Amino acid sequence: MKNITVFLCTCFDEINRVVDYERLCSHLSDDPRVAAVTVSRGLCVSGGAGEIGASVKSGDGRVLIAACSPLARGDQVMRDLERAGVPAFRRHLVDLREGCAWIHGNNPAAATEKALDLLNMGLTALEYKEPSADVTLKIADEVLVIGAGPAGMAAATALARCGVDVRVLERGAQPGGMLGLVSRSYPDNTDPSEKIAAFRDLAASDPRITFHSKVKIISARGYAGNFTVRFTAEGEELQAHAGAVIIATGGRVFPPKGYYRYGEVREVVSQIELEARFRKGPVKKENAVFIQCVGARCEERPYCSTICCPASIKNAMRIMDENENARVWILHRDIMMPGTTLEAYYKKAMERGVRFIRYAESDPPRILGDEAVETVEVRDDITGDRRTIPADLVVLSTPLIAGTDAEAIGDLFGIQRDSYGFFREIYPLHPVETRIDGVYICGSARWPVSSEQAMVQGEAAAMKAAALVGRQTIRASEFSRVPGAKFGHARVNEDTCSGCGNCAAVCSFDAIRLQRRSGEGEFRMVSRVIKVRCKACGNCLSVCPNGSMQMPEMNTKALYGMVGKAFS
Amino acid sequence: MAVEVSNNHKQQKATERTPRILVFACKWCGLIGADGAGRKREPLPPNFRVIPVECVGSVEPDAVIRAFADGMDGVIVMGCHLGGCRFNDANHAAFKRLELLRALLEGVGIGRDRLLVTFGTAHEGHQFTDVLRNFTNLIAKKESLDTSWTSSRARMI
Amino acid sequence: MKTQQAMIDQAKSLLKKLLEDGEATAVFGLARGMGGVTAPRIFTMPDELDSLVLEPKWPLAKPAMEILRTAPGGYRLAVVCRGCDERALVELIKRNQVDADALVMVGVACSGEQASICLCDRPYPSKLDIGEAAHGVDPFDDPGVKYLLEGDTHTRMGRWERVLKRCVKCYGCRNSCPICVCDPCKLEGEPWVRRGIIPTEILSFHLIRAFHLADTCVACGACQEACPAGIPLVTLQHAMRRALREGFEYEAGLDVNEKTPVLFDFIQAPEKDRPIPDWINTLRD
Ligand SMILES: Cc1cc2nc3c(=O)[nH]c(=O)nc-3n(C[C@H](O)[C@H](O)[C@H](O)COP(=O)(O)OP(=O)(O)OC[C@H]3O[C@@H](n4cnc5c(N)ncnc54)[C@H](O)[C@@H]3O)c2cc1C
Ligand code: SF4
Ligand code: SF4
Ligand code: SF4
Ligand code: SF4
Ligand code: SF4
Repeated sequence: MKNITVFLCTCFDEINRVVDYERLCSHLSDDPRVAAVTVSRGLCVSGGAGEIGASVKSGDGRVLIAACSPLARGDQVMRDLERAGVPAFRRHLVDLREGCAWIHGNNPAAATEKALDLLNMGLTALEYKEPSADVTLKIADEVLVIGAGPAGMAAATALARCGVDVRVLERGAQPGGMLGLVSRSYPDNTDPSEKIAAFRDLAASDPRITFHSKVKIISARGYAGNFTVRFTAEGEELQAHAGAVIIATGGRVFPPKGYYRYGEVREVVSQIELEARFRKGPVKKENAVFIQCVGARCEERPYCSTICCPASIKNAMRIMDENENARVWILHRDIMMPGTTLEAYYKKAMERGVRFIRYAESDPPRILGDEAVETVEVRDDITGDRRTIPADLVVLSTPLIAGTDAEAIGDLFGIQRDSYGFFREIYPLHPVETRIDGVYICGSARWPVSSEQAMVQGEAAAMKAAALVGRQTIRASEFSRVPGAKFGHARVNEDTCSGCGNCAAVCSFDAIRLQRRSGEGEFRMVSRVIKVRCKACGNCLSVCPNGSMQMPEMNTKALYGMVGKAFS
Repeated sequence: MAVEVSNNHKQQKATERTPRILVFACKWCGLIGADGAGRKREPLPPNFRVIPVECVGSVEPDAVIRAFADGMDGVIVMGCHLGGCRFNDANHAAFKRLELLRALLEGVGIGRDRLLVTFGTAHEGHQFTDVLRNFTNLIAKKESLDTSWTSSRARMI
Repeated sequence: MKTQQAMIDQAKSLLKKLLEDGEATAVFGLARGMGGVTAPRIFTMPDELDSLVLEPKWPLAKPAMEILRTAPGGYRLAVVCRGCDERALVELIKRNQVDADALVMVGVACSGEQASICLCDRPYPSKLDIGEAAHGVDPFDDPGVKYLLEGDTHTRMGRWERVLKRCVKCYGCRNSCPICVCDPCKLEGEPWVRRGIIPTEILSFHLIRAFHLADTCVACGACQEACPAGIPLVTLQHAMRRALREGFEYEAGLDVNEKTPVLFDFIQAPEKDRPIPDWINTLRD
């Protein structure tokens, strides 16, 4: 079919100084697929995309552009064409400047040969490219927040302020999360119950916030814009239909079982137990020893939990507040107090006389005493001295670990977890987004953080969710992981699919579902692509044994065609 | 010197032959590296052709096999660094698959080194030139893939 | 070592019990029929099992799958499985081709002689019901395998070329492979392979077929046994099976719950050291 219009850009003689455009033109005009060839001096500056668009819009016209690399102006021209109404399957870009003229300037003959091949490859690709239909989705207005710790509370508050309806699902009886277990909150030493009470009042008074306590999630399905979550709240079964989901389920404190004779001798407690004692009343101690990195930065858990150093320093000073003669030691491997406020907090503790001793991982402190702790023996890693410290309290600082139901929640929503069980962001440049569009993560559920950082992340997730549910409809192609729209979606041929499940297993975006074949009553499956989730990476088609999975915009025929014409 | 890129490489001796190299480069790293090499106007051997792909995930192993069947002497697949893939972990999936394909190519005597699987970051133009020059040298030292292996060339599409 | 007859007797009583207890609707195995011809048979009545035999080797996984495909709901088939049959069925379960609930696998050990004919490194099923496990054979000790897989690539390419050129494109290998279930198959049409035209497009046909089975081939040897041209097709699979074992500690067909590294286990941990896998940037090796 003679339906391809070719535009050759000379880039102000940058390309044709090396590549013989006359040969290209005469070759192209002889090609049965080519309707017309136009040579232009600067496609990017002439603003020609609109005209090109108009010229190929009618019928089955396709356009081949030979110009500079996508990164230079090529992609810009392609995006202009998209706007002018030329979809991805009807256009193809060939890079003759960076990819040919500029690197083969010393060999014009070979450069011209190569340019001919590249054009030929482009023509063949255009011959076979097909469209993958886009879909438009309606978006539910409500946002679902799971977990009402600092992160979830901040997210819900921010959303309500934006005028977005939000439904909060909390597993416990009260909001507050781990902050509800803390007596005072570093670095400003405020009482966290004020924050929690403020949120409880807001939830009660703001019609935009619906708060459910004692929640158990039963099931979740759907995709961006349309999630359906079934749950029970106080025993009653309910269902929510949400446009976006924010996961703020926090973490859990690592129990120091088996470390430092915890549970064997009295007055060896975990940090969270100390917080509970503070909430009951003053803790009067003469000699308190905090041990850091208990079960953290070790082989199984090589990460730093970031909250334990500030929490110990906070509670060390609290002990001094309650007994001015108390002596406090913090035995640490490194003190981690990032940022300006925390560093100042650390300085303050040193000024107040908290003693810091560094121990080595290979030679940890020892707890001595028969019934209750009496002394702690530690080797100072800096001076090399072995010291025996009197102690009537030992506090073990343990890290946060992933929540008990993190795995279940992750599976329900299709989000990935890192090797320690925390939820994983899609990649470092998108800190609250997951591989499932419309599902966001924040707070200690994604990484141990202080309540303040959890709140910041909660607000960030809220803004992402608001930007999504603020729209009425959205096209699947807009859920792109790259600049601009997606160039296509995977498409399965249901007649030839054997239901082997390779594609569903390999998809990095959980975009493929295997379903029982309907009607036949036999044990056979067929795969189905969820277009919103598909990001067009092509992994599925690479593992589909018989080519049932295709990317219409770059299907097997187009790809093999290009391979076959690479040296023709 | 006029470079031969035509069909008659069979007659050429190993030493004077210019090998045919096909490069599958993902748009977000490999191709940006190619662009970087272009902007520096680094002279490169003209015997390679780049097929841009959205992600190395879409480089079907069968397409690589086809490239050899179509008479390529070497194939390079260029993706992003592990952990730096725009498409989550799609590049890792592709690399694992292609590693198995390399085992197959080795088994059947084509040699695993004719399929180069590599990754780089955007802006690594020097890496692109480096890889291409070294790979061309390596392949040029090898015998051509005899055309009786490539009987499927130039008839289907 | 049990005698063949003792194994058959044991199998008969075990399978009879399965039928009598209603554990299985039918048994699929080998029977010596009239005129002494041995062939696969579906046994539905306990006394039919008197004609059961266990030899010779006859790949039963694929026909078992076909039977189950058309079976009515609630049907349970007991299959007499050698090691390779069991592994093939495990792969078929993983690939959703066989309903694990409708299958009862009864494992039979192969003899040492059979193992050395098949170059089988695991001549017994993981669930061994009948017979004793014989020692496996390392295929890489076989001179034929060494001839094709070890040594200078260029020489071996010539050898492979001579071998593969004998192919008459009869599709016997594809048809007999228990794992090859696609309809249509890539080898039947453009742009991969032209149907009905010889000589075979050696690279496309054979490498595509081999690669599709890279991580699923259980080295049952059915393809090779079916090939009229005597092409050592399993040898090609051994190259990839070895790579999987050495690179990923994986072997196909051992466990329904074990996932193939080709489709699972990708880097999920940006926080962990991400050493460049040594197989990447292969220019340096
Ligand atoms: C001993 C200790 C002292 C600390 N001291 C301080 C301090 O002084 N200052 C400070 O800033 N930070 C402090 N922190 C850290 C702080 O508590 C946490 O970082 C913060 O609470 C994290 O907030 P979050 O919202 O992410 O998670 P969390 O506070 O853990 O909240 C998660 C919420 O989600 C709910 N949830 C979990 N799973 C589900 C589910 N499946 N369905 C429904 N709901 C669910 C939980 O019930 C919980 O309410 C301390 C931590 C510890 C361990
Ligand atoms: S193209 Fe990629 S994202 Fe889309 S369905 Fe296939 S594997 Fe998943
Ligand atoms: S990989 Fe192909 S055959 Fe297998 S389920 Fe997916 S589309 Fe179907
Ligand atoms: S040995 Fe041959 S028939 Fe058996 S699984 Fe492997 S490829 Fe298929
Ligand atoms: S050769 Fe490949 S496409 Fe053909 S049946 Fe086997 S696995 Fe399927
Ligand atoms: S069985 Fe042998 S001859 Fe037949 S197609 Fe396969 S390899 Fe070729």
